Amino acid sequence: MSSIDDMPTGQRRIKVERRLNPNASWTLAMYLIATLFGLGLTALLIWTSGADVLKAFITLFDGAFGSQKAWIASLAKATPLILTGLATIVAFRAQVWSIGQEGQVYSGAMGAYLACLVFADLPVGIYLSLIILSGMIAGAGLGIIAAILKTRFGVNEIISTVMMNYLIVFLLSYLIGGGPWTEVSSSVVYQQSAQIPDAAQLPYLFGTAKLHIAFVFALIAAVFCYVVLEKTPLGYEIRAMGFNPVALAHRGTNIGRTMIIVMAISGAIAGLAGVSEIFGTSHRVRVDTLYGFGFTGIIIGMIGGLRPLGAVIAGILFGGLETGALYMKLLAKVPAAIVPAMEGILLLTFLIAGVAARYKIVRVNTND
Amino acid sequence: MSPLLKCVELTKRFPGVVANDRVTFDLMLGEVHCLFGENGAGKSTLSSCLFGYYQPEGGHIECDGSPVKFNSPRDAIAVGIGMVHQHFVLVADFTVLENIVVGTHAKGWKLDLKSARARVDALCQQYDINLDLDAYVRDLAVGQQQWVEILKALYLDARILILDEPTAVLTPDESERLFHIIDQMCQRHISIILISHKMSEVMQADRVTVLRKGAVVGTVEIADATPDMLTKMMVGRDVALRVSRTNTADQGDVKKPVLEVRNVSYVAASGKSALTDITLTIHSGEILGLAGVSGNGQKELFEVLSGILVPDAGEITLDGATVTGMQSRDYMQRGVGLIPDDRFREGLIPEFSVQENMILGWQRDDAYTSGPFLSAAKIKENGGAMIDAFQIKVPSGATPVNHLSGGNAQKVILAREFSQSSTLLLANQPTRGLDLGVIEYVYSQIIAKRDQGYAVLLASEELEDLLNISDRIVVMSDGKIVGIVNAQDSSVPEIGQLMTGAQAA
Repeated sequence: MSSIDDMPTGQRRIKVERRLNPNASWTLAMYLIATLFGLGLTALLIWTSGADVLKAFITLFDGAFGSQKAWIASLAKATPLILTGLATIVAFRAQVWSIGQEGQVYSGAMGAYLACLVFADLPVGIYLSLIILSGMIAGAGLGIIAAILKTRFGVNEIISTVMMNYLIVFLLSYLIGGGPWTEVSSSVVYQQSAQIPDAAQLPYLFGTAKLHIAFVFALIAAVFCYVVLEKTPLGYEIRAMGFNPVALAHRGTNIGRTMIIVMAISGAIAGLAGVSEIFGTSHRVRVDTLYGFGFTGIIIGMIGGLRPLGAVIAGILFGGLETGALYMKLLAKVPAAIVPAMEGILLLTFLIAGVAARYKIVRVNTND
Repeated sequence: MSPLLKCVELTKRFPGVVANDRVTFDLMLGEVHCLFGENGAGKSTLSSCLFGYYQPEGGHIECDGSPVKFNSPRDAIAVGIGMVHQHFVLVADFTVLENIVVGTHAKGWKLDLKSARARVDALCQQYDINLDLDAYVRDLAVGQQQWVEILKALYLDARILILDEPTAVLTPDESERLFHIIDQMCQRHISIILISHKMSEVMQADRVTVLRKGAVVGTVEIADATPDMLTKMMVGRDVALRVSRTNTADQGDVKKPVLEVRNVSYVAASGKSALTDITLTIHSGEILGLAGVSGNGQKELFEVLSGILVPDAGEITLDGATVTGMQSRDYMQRGVGLIPDDRFREGLIPEFSVQENMILGWQRDDAYTSGPFLSAAKIKENGGAMIDAFQIKVPSGATPVNHLSGGNAQKVILAREFSQSSTLLLANQPTRGLDLGVIEYVYSQIIAKRDQGYAVLLASEELEDLLNISDRIVVMSDGKIVGIVNAQDSSVPEIGQLMTGAQAA
């Protein structure tokens, strides 16, 4: 408690107030500041590593978006990230806290590889379609298991999805590390499957440049998510479930069913990310090439403000950062580990910007 | 004598509203000073400023004649102010004693429960409060929880006690007891700020300050005041209080039963028997009142009758067809409307717009879709029509519901449930926390539905209102029906006795 005697009357001061309505230019300004602040903190990190900060940034952005080749590599890298970002958005908008995108990526890759082995004799178009479909079904299946555990038995979805991430990665490790899918070539056993036949590889969009058709799938998935969430009764239910499941259930919607649908869609999209990476980029099933897409997808969904367009932009940004990281490491002698650190920093500053966008600063006269 | 606590020209703004507009108020030693006004008049904001929750933008507060500034409740507590909130701030899994001691930091790091117990025991004796200090708060009745709140304030040596709508959750008996304790505190020179919008309570105060739209209308001695005069000050106009029963529905034509409930029982997940052997009938063109101390099965009854809960035994028929075990969607499609008591939690999606909330539950209905998509045009048109028909005060149909006042939010629910239902209307506390004007409106709408031939189940804590507009009143206690009375032949005391089980015992 302090006496107010020593306070001048009529003093002006700055106050923070909550906004009733969002303001587009203010929001943009907040995200811009967040980006600059994030870059500033990253610069600090680079500086402590002893490298030339300016050179590091220039090589980073050059490597990411400096040429047509760089763009193509970045978009290819972005493809699975956009997909796992979208998978996150569908679940999180319903406030279903699924951390299972990682496992669903593996599961999708495995389902697709199974179809790749089983349907090898079919015509190419049908063969590819079945591979993609199987991957999506496998991802959806894993999501549905978590949803049923939650609706039937009340198992927290965070726990169940995290646990299933472990189960799936160990299952995959077994299958390709001594199990039936292990590549048999010489006496040396790598943890990988045999090369995927040409007929099963996702076609490139521009000649031999390594941007494959899954990038188009990712954009279609983004439009699909936007339309479903914003324009359909199901989307109404998903959003309403996120805000207030009690009222939604009391007014006649079966929210258990909604949750299963949410996890099926989320899982299918994450599964597609696994298909994209294995059948579009690495052309072998390996654990290390798949690792982290699901977790990074959560960051991308959050940075994208849980909006599909946001996930596309954030996905491309992150794809670029990862491509550029290689150049930066080679040319500026900066450890590539700076990039994941930068991603984490950007997540934090963007989350703060998301909150700040809901407030405004006003000057008030304390004595009026 | 100079005032103990005083605020001068106190102004507090929130985005878009001035909650307190140059409010001047003072509190004398040992008096009960009532803050009286409608919901949203600024009573709670003023008390929150006086308790340091909010920092006013203008004006100042004086304590014992010298200016003070409260940066947080801690500062207010330091000068001897205590507050009992409308919604209690207790830890359910702590004992009474632990709840009283928690956060007091009286003895540094070590928790000295022994001397605390002695002090609390002394306080209980002083005020004739009979409480088991080792009982867990979760096991206490609501009235007893309030005593714990009061003891918390007294334990911190409060000289000034702010009571925010203290009787909102109490039975008539418990309320009476509370005022007895208030009397005793005044005799011990504790001053009380009593926030209320109930006339019977205001009249027990020493002085009353009436607030309207954030500003002080006037401060009067109760000895010089009449209820009529205070009501007029509160609403700024003469009110023909409340709606009364029209006689149209009492004509002798034979009414058909719409809802029949036979021997329905429901056991809650906790294993407690929430409803036991409930049998009742509601006819078309009839309002059946439901009275009971809150928490005696009314909520479960409403949820069973709207398909949210499935009863464990018994049968429910609607227009002659058995609907037992069906889902809430089936009930809605058979014309049952529900106005839940917790409107923001159970009836609305607060972040959704008004027009989106108007279709909650009907989002897959052809009326609001075109093909597989929601029709923005149809939703907007429906929203606009509803806003006009129910006089909802909003800038547009796209305004989020959480920007609305309680009354307007309630009208959104009324609009939806009235227009979508056709046979049975279930209204649980539809007027709770609303202004007089809106209360009248809600009741007149319910009566209009009754006159259209709806069957209505109406629960309210305002027994006089129930007596005024119901045809019959069913009284519940401990999950059982303890009486069904004819509204015209009954009285508040009779129903009050039934509610508290005074006759059943």
